[in-house]
Amino acid sequence: MATTTRPPQSAPAATERAVAVNPPTRRSRRRLLPLLGLAAGALVFLFPFYYMVIGALQREPNTDISGAFPNPANLTLDNLRNINNAINLPRTLLNSGIFTGGVLLCTLVLGLLAGYALARLEFRGKGMAFNAMLLILIVPFQLLMIPLYVMIVRGYLLGDTYLGMILPFAVNATAVFIFRQFFLQLPRELFESARLDGASELQILTRIAIPLARPAILTAVILTFIGPWNEFLWPFLVTKRLDLQPLAVALASFIANVASRQANPFGAILAGAVVLTIPAVVLFLVFQRRFQTTNLGSGIKG
Amino acid sequence: MAASAATTSRPPRARRLLGRQPVGYLFVAPYILFLFLIFAYPLGFAVYMSFHDYFFAAPGAVVDRPFVGLDNYTTALADPALRRATLNVVIFIAINVPLTVFVGLLLATALNAAIPFRTFWRASYFVPYVTASVAVIGVWQWLFSSGGLVNSVLGPLAPDPSWLVNRFWAMPIIALFATWKQLGFYVLLYLAALQNISEELYEAAEVDGAGPVRRFWHITVPGVRPATTLVVIAATITGANFFTEPYLLTGRGGPAGASVSPVLLMYTEGIEQGHAGYAAAIGVLLALGVMVVSLVNRYLLERG
Amino acid sequence: MPSTRIRLWIAVVATLGLALVGCTRGGGGNQTADQATQATGPIKIWYSNNQDEVKWGKAVVAAWNQAHSDQQVTAEEIPAGKSSEEVIGASITAGSTPCLVFNTAPAAVPQFQKQGGLVALDSFSDGPGYISERVGARADQYKSPDGKFYQMPWKTNPVQIFYNKKVFAKAGLDPARPPLATYQDFVATAKTLVDKGGVKAAIWPAPSSEFFQSWFDFYPLFIAETGKQLVADGQPQFNTPEGVAVGEFWKQLYSDKLAQRELYTGDAFADQKAAMAIVGPWAIAVYGDKVDWGVAPLPTSSGKDPAQIQTFSDEKSVGMYSSCQNRGTAWEFLKFATSQEQDGKLLEVTGQMPMRENLPSLYADYFKQHPEYTSFAEQAARTVEVPNVPNSVEIWQTFRDAYTESVIFGRGDVRQSFDQAAEKIKTLAAGS
Repeated sequence: MATTTRPPQSAPAATERAVAVNPPTRRSRRRLLPLLGLAAGALVFLFPFYYMVIGALQREPNTDISGAFPNPANLTLDNLRNINNAINLPRTLLNSGIFTGGVLLCTLVLGLLAGYALARLEFRGKGMAFNAMLLILIVPFQLLMIPLYVMIVRGYLLGDTYLGMILPFAVNATAVFIFRQFFLQLPRELFESARLDGASELQILTRIAIPLARPAILTAVILTFIGPWNEFLWPFLVTKRLDLQPLAVALASFIANVASRQANPFGAILAGAVVLTIPAVVLFLVFQRRFQTTNLGSGIKG
Repeated sequence: MAASAATTSRPPRARRLLGRQPVGYLFVAPYILFLFLIFAYPLGFAVYMSFHDYFFAAPGAVVDRPFVGLDNYTTALADPALRRATLNVVIFIAINVPLTVFVGLLLATALNAAIPFRTFWRASYFVPYVTASVAVIGVWQWLFSSGGLVNSVLGPLAPDPSWLVNRFWAMPIIALFATWKQLGFYVLLYLAALQNISEELYEAAEVDGAGPVRRFWHITVPGVRPATTLVVIAATITGANFFTEPYLLTGRGGPAGASVSPVLLMYTEGIEQGHAGYAAAIGVLLALGVMVVSLVNRYLLERG
Repeated sequence: MPSTRIRLWIAVVATLGLALVGCTRGGGGNQTADQATQATGPIKIWYSNNQDEVKWGKAVVAAWNQAHSDQQVTAEEIPAGKSSEEVIGASITAGSTPCLVFNTAPAAVPQFQKQGGLVALDSFSDGPGYISERVGARADQYKSPDGKFYQMPWKTNPVQIFYNKKVFAKAGLDPARPPLATYQDFVATAKTLVDKGGVKAAIWPAPSSEFFQSWFDFYPLFIAETGKQLVADGQPQFNTPEGVAVGEFWKQLYSDKLAQRELYTGDAFADQKAAMAIVGPWAIAVYGDKVDWGVAPLPTSSGKDPAQIQTFSDEKSVGMYSSCQNRGTAWEFLKFATSQEQDGKLLEVTGQMPMRENLPSLYADYFKQHPEYTSFAEQAARTVEVPNVPNSVEIWQTFRDAYTESVIFGRGDVRQSFDQAAEKIKTLAAGS
């Protein structure tokens, strides 16, 4: 799958051409430099995660240089057990899943509809709709947060519900943007011929455009996933009930309040961080092979 | 009225009125509806609040919330905390944006070359981006605490007071953290842009005897200019709205307000101290500022 | 054509606007205040989220529910966050507060009152009588500027100095009689502790800038020195020579590195990183076996007689919230939960001091069995509260900002920065 969906102009083809031009020694030197740079960069990027895992497993926090290496005598799973006692991990993970899933669903449905209309349909006010979408990106969420809170909890009585958590994140301008760009890229004839065959626009969208848009959908999922998964302020405001709190909220509260009562607070915090990190990273790793950077690229051109 | 016109005898007029495919309205309707419900209305409400001595009262409570004109705005403009916060945004952007552009483009160029383990490299840069701030901030605090690993490595070179409680270092650390956290996303943007540059350009330059550095400056950099515009604008917007870092990493904009941000101020004023009107005024000023800066950015980058 | 377009937009906006107005209306009962104070039926309450108070709360609710099947009480832990004030403030706005919150900070009462979120307990005929009978003369500190009680003073954690006996012994100091009475003694002792006691700090209060952190460093010492509130009769009291002396005392601890400027993750005293801490009796159960601790009175400039020294109460009240329908039940439950019997259980389970007079004789059995709590019970009679003035939270934030800047981080002159904060606080306290 990974190789078949790779765009034709991507790297492997390019190197084969380069090989022909360059003598082998120069070629290996040319490959070594970026490789070294990448390795150094990756070290900087991954080290905090490695250190997070180490810290989560330490019995006594060790901040010396030796603490960066696993020491079997100082390893324990107690921290995980402690945080599991303080926070109901399965429940909060489930809540995170529902919250994130709901946001993704809304984002995809609304985003595909709007993206398709903005790219492929001619109607008055289209430009205005597009500009309004971009405006969302500029206004800080905290400005809207309090009016939104009053509206959702007091106006719609959605306090302490998943729906109340999901609503403000249901539209995502980035996703619409990605879909619009993707649909713009597709050949015009595809749509014209379907229309001549008498298909309705909704049929064209569901039967033709969406199946083709799978890579764009994946991109949108990965990019919007992290928003709700990480969000802790909004769900915290909306849910007063512990059994509805997503993990990020529970962990933020744990860090703020409960951790200081733990025997090894850093260990407990880091253990919680590991739990919060794993699902996101696993999800990303599973999908990342199919993850198409070109979908973003087309957006830049437009 | 408009809808009935579309179905009766005068389609051309309806077409002129609504466009060729009015069904588009149906498609964007849910989106626009949401836009009104959870964006336009709260935004309008926030602007309204900013002109009043507004605070949130219990339902049914009779309270006095007088119209105060531009008072909230003049207070905000004279507020030393907001000035400090604005300066911090400038510091943040001054570190974060150039670093993001240069390192992001360099890493993307390296990734674009044919190298082994490409998927692995790409994933490693993206991992911080997909991880929750709440989770990684714990590690950063641990790394940069006074007895932390960073100071252990630095030994006598460690700053005193330590990084996160040091007036000078708190903001740079926040900017570095944000860069580290976001860079993966921008690397991907650049990677995508690089794939749009034709390989022939490089080959031609190589034939003309241009070295890798010259090829980078003369082909890659101009070739990804649209992406750079996007990266700069996106990084500026995120930079102007930074909040999680001072809220969690430096314990509410510490030390002594040295890392406070406008959004954090909005949060403390509006939610903790009950000055919703004042907080809204800060928010409106911030949004206006960001809009102006984005427009200027775009103008400068696209003209060049 | 443009006019049609505009009309279309106006129509859309208007429809949506109407829909919204329709949605956001509603709420707010039609009951008159009098009916509400009589009404009985099921109610909801929140209690604090620390495990001891949860345990006590569950027991009280169970006892009540057994006897009142028609007026059931549902209890939940207060949603955790940075501070419960934010949660309660937001809930008032949303109209989703429970009837009673057994964790209402007196500092937040003025704001909640301004929001129209609190019920004056004076609306119950026996309200003021019950409060002054239970709490005694101290009750006056909990009256709002309009002369009414918007909170029921509930329990206090009078703070004193906890010290680690082992660290003191290691540093060559007498653990039975630690030299901490005057500022001079305190600083000298602190220096010895850091030099020889093997601790990172002599004392390690949170150096962060949350508005309430001053209650555990500056304010207790200020009260011990002056017996005054931060603001009295609309006048700031901390920019006096005494207040500045307390500031200078802390400044010296910070600049000599006897106190740390970095926030400690965890409890520095429990982890033996700090030799002393300013804490209330709730901590006894926490430090229990971890630390061999002793208690000393707060230092004063002249080394006052400990029996005269006052301290910060760290009191929590019970608030009744205006979203409550069945206020009759809420009031009865409030009296039930603050009865002498339940107060005794609170003391037993949590080690925190109920707001009653003469605790040592009232619960003589308990203090015989737990002598370590006695000094706190005695101290509980000599406590000073935060001032009940408008903009209370903002006043504390203003003070904290000046304090972190000039005292903790030693930038600028303490006197000057206190003067500047006092200027601002004066206008805030006046209610503008």
